[in-house]
Amino acid sequence: MKQMHLIAVAVCAALASCAPAEDKVSGAGTTAGVAPVVAGEATMRRLTAEQYQNVIADLFGDTIELGGRFEPELRVNGLMAVGASSVSVTAAGMEQYDMMARRIAAQIMDEKRRALMMPCQPADAKLADDACARQFLAESGLWLYRRPLTDAELGSYVTTANKAAARLGNFHDGLAMSFSAMLASPRFLFRQETLEPDPAHKGQVRLTAYAKAAQLSFFLWNSGPDRALFEAARTGEIHTPKGYAKQVDRMIASPRLERGVRAFFVDNFHFDEFSLLTKDAEIFPKFSAQVLADAQEQTLRTVVDLLVKRRGDYRDIFTTKKTFLTQELAAIYKVPVAEHGPNGSPDIWQAFEFSKDSAYGGVQSQIAFTALHSHPGRSSPTIRGKAIREILMCQKVPAPPGNVDFKLVQDTNNPVYRTVRQRMDAHATNPVCTGCHKITDPMGYALETFDGGGAFRTKENGADIDASGTLDGKQFKSAMELGKVLHDSPATANCLVNRMASYATGRTFKREPWIQAMEQGFAAQGYVVPELMRAVALHDVFTRVAPPAQQAAN
Amino acid sequence: MRSMKRPLAAAVLFAAAAFPAALFPRAAFALESRSVVIGWLGQATMNGDKDCGAEGPNPVIGDQYLKHLKDLGYSGEEVEALAKKSAEGGPGMDPVLEIVWMRGRVDGKPTNPYVYPETAIDPKLKPLDGKFAFGFDLDGKGADQASAFTDPDTLEKGVDHEMYRALGCMRSFRGSLTGRPTYWAWAWGQTRDSQPAWIVTVTGEDLSKDGDVTVTFDRALEHVKSNPDGSPKSDATYRADPDPRSHNVFKGKMKDGAVTVSEAADFRMLQNPLIAPELRLDHAKVRISFKEDGSATGMIGGYQPWRDLYWGMANGAPGVELCVTGDIVGMYYLLKHHADFDPDPKTGQNRAISATYYFEAVPAFTTPAQQTASK
Repeated sequence: MKQMHLIAVAVCAALASCAPAEDKVSGAGTTAGVAPVVAGEATMRRLTAEQYQNVIADLFGDTIELGGRFEPELRVNGLMAVGASSVSVTAAGMEQYDMMARRIAAQIMDEKRRALMMPCQPADAKLADDACARQFLAESGLWLYRRPLTDAELGSYVTTANKAAARLGNFHDGLAMSFSAMLASPRFLFRQETLEPDPAHKGQVRLTAYAKAAQLSFFLWNSGPDRALFEAARTGEIHTPKGYAKQVDRMIASPRLERGVRAFFVDNFHFDEFSLLTKDAEIFPKFSAQVLADAQEQTLRTVVDLLVKRRGDYRDIFTTKKTFLTQELAAIYKVPVAEHGPNGSPDIWQAFEFSKDSAYGGVQSQIAFTALHSHPGRSSPTIRGKAIREILMCQKVPAPPGNVDFKLVQDTNNPVYRTVRQRMDAHATNPVCTGCHKITDPMGYALETFDGGGAFRTKENGADIDASGTLDGKQFKSAMELGKVLHDSPATANCLVNRMASYATGRTFKREPWIQAMEQGFAAQGYVVPELMRAVALHDVFTRVAPPAQQAAN
Repeated sequence: MRSMKRPLAAAVLFAAAAFPAALFPRAAFALESRSVVIGWLGQATMNGDKDCGAEGPNPVIGDQYLKHLKDLGYSGEEVEALAKKSAEGGPGMDPVLEIVWMRGRVDGKPTNPYVYPETAIDPKLKPLDGKFAFGFDLDGKGADQASAFTDPDTLEKGVDHEMYRALGCMRSFRGSLTGRPTYWAWAWGQTRDSQPAWIVTVTGEDLSKDGDVTVTFDRALEHVKSNPDGSPKSDATYRADPDPRSHNVFKGKMKDGAVTVSEAADFRMLQNPLIAPELRLDHAKVRISFKEDGSATGMIGGYQPWRDLYWGMANGAPGVELCVTGDIVGMYYLLKHHADFDPDPKTGQNRAISATYYFEAVPAFTTPAQQTASK
């Protein structure tokens, strides 16, 4: 039975790109009687800062300023999305959420905006207006809670609004007070996987229609559901295979998919670490806060262009010469990029293709990778190699022992060991170090032609840089050749499948059979990422969790 | 080195702007070009300890103002009293400045000396006394000129750089290629970030070999791009302004990595009017040295209308005189006396003075502005 299921998944995923989703996989409508794959325990995931911002922007427009500081996020098994189900809110964090809530509410109720933001206006702005407050809070509550408010919830918020309006002598101030409480509610700040019995599988549970809608929208759009998705949840259409697949198709075809893909790669590429990245201005004079921002954006634009707009092969992110540059970045890459856009208007982002013989190619050669995975004043083949192993190949590299002597490695002016490779080779003669460095350094050496700030170089301290190495038995002599090896390595594509499933569900998976089947499907349909996202969204694991009883037993 | 073949460099960026379908420009080349953007420009100076005689450079402006009081007829006791009162401070205008800033005289009445420099007494500030100066033999008279300098780098004799002689003992104009003169540091500091960048492009068949080259100086549409520490950013891209008023072409030769202009030509570059609306050098000559990292240093010399320089200073007077330049009217007379080119047909007074400017530049990319801007 299990084998049949795997085959079904693989075949369906393989066909995903050429047939409507409703004809492909089980997803919401697993064949009756066949035991579905379940993800694990139900979780509550805290909204990321970007998700919070997106929900507010979707609801009220992107001119609303949040003006607060979000709680630090937690990376678990390579993803913040997984860590989101392990974090809570501290007292200080709650203060921040409350402050943001009040600020947002005040902006929405502002005299200049309220006509645009609110569906109704009170009969008398100095008095409570039950009907108008109810209408606003019910509509807003749907978007914030990602489900209709219960009568009790709505009644409570309306009562609060009315009482506050009466006391303050101002309808909008009273409503703002009630609305800010809604914004600071855990029901908004946390995505809860609410469950209901699955009528198709006795003893099993499934996500409720609204929870399923939210799961889908945060995965594919990194924001809450839109009106059509809410409607599919309200009518129950989302529980039918056809209706669910229709929504998946619609959402994958939407321009908002770019936002979802970007969010995934921001998480997967550890771009949150940019907030801690510093560079020695003496050594890397071109580096600036703008470069840091542009570098991330470059990689994201590269990825989105290749994977979403051109529906390209995921593996090509390791070899692609096509990218987008600003002048800030172009100066580091030492290529010409002028600011000009349509009709001569300024456009700071320009499409650019590195020449065939350029050392630049693939995201691992871009500043967002080479600079992020370096020291403030120098490159590091070990850190870069570790990043390749862990981020791009989902392989774990052990942490170094605490008593390592880095003196030689850090001696960048050493007259004998002029290149970092020479220093690392001398350092790694220590058997304690050799084991780990063998795992990381060979790939990192290939990127040594990029300094710690991401600029191309052929020499270090006057000595030629040797960029040759091996990865899992495959030899390379340059960064571009490393890119080809990464492109051809099954580990990179398989890693993406696992990460995508983990990201979508907020859980960690081993290379279980259904994951392997999904890997095969990903390969069969040409490594097209939106199709992988479709396969994940349609898979049982995305919409099913273990029944409470089973959870308790576990 | 930032090298690119020009026609294609233009086409590359043109294509990106013009055709969304061909969004990814590729580079392919014909003639080779190397561009730099000027990050520093100031008079080429090389002052030493003994080039202003035993007494050293001209007095600081405070002492000079007291001398002006005497020249205006104030007695020693009066000058001393005014100086004392000035030093004590207090409300109202400084008594010394009140007088010297109106030290011109017309029919015995105080007159603004900066607007009407000839109404002020020539303080007869001393010029530089030296044999060496950076520059070029602009008039072609060679070593026959007794007053001419010898260039310390090229050892060329007959070098014409009278601006250096005229202002070389003014403290704010003294310096070296590394120790920048105060006035020029101030002037360039004011202008660099407030005017479009100046770009220099050398074009030839193969810039790695000796041969004929063309050197162009253009203004860009963009200002100089800077690193966070304020230094000019290397490898940035600039669009050349099509305005012919700032387009200069020189024929030259590349030899051992250095460019020398063999045919003098007039040089015009619009600039921030704070200094002068235009940097104008007639019969200009150029030499440029490139370093391995693509950066360059160079000299450009020619005959400059000396009144341009004067008015650049006078426009900021008297504040600039007090804080930056020193005696502006004194420099008027120095420049006037040492002007060595372009005699006025009526008066015979030379209207231009030989000058040489030193520039430092970092590698840059350039592209024509017309094509990109019109798309």
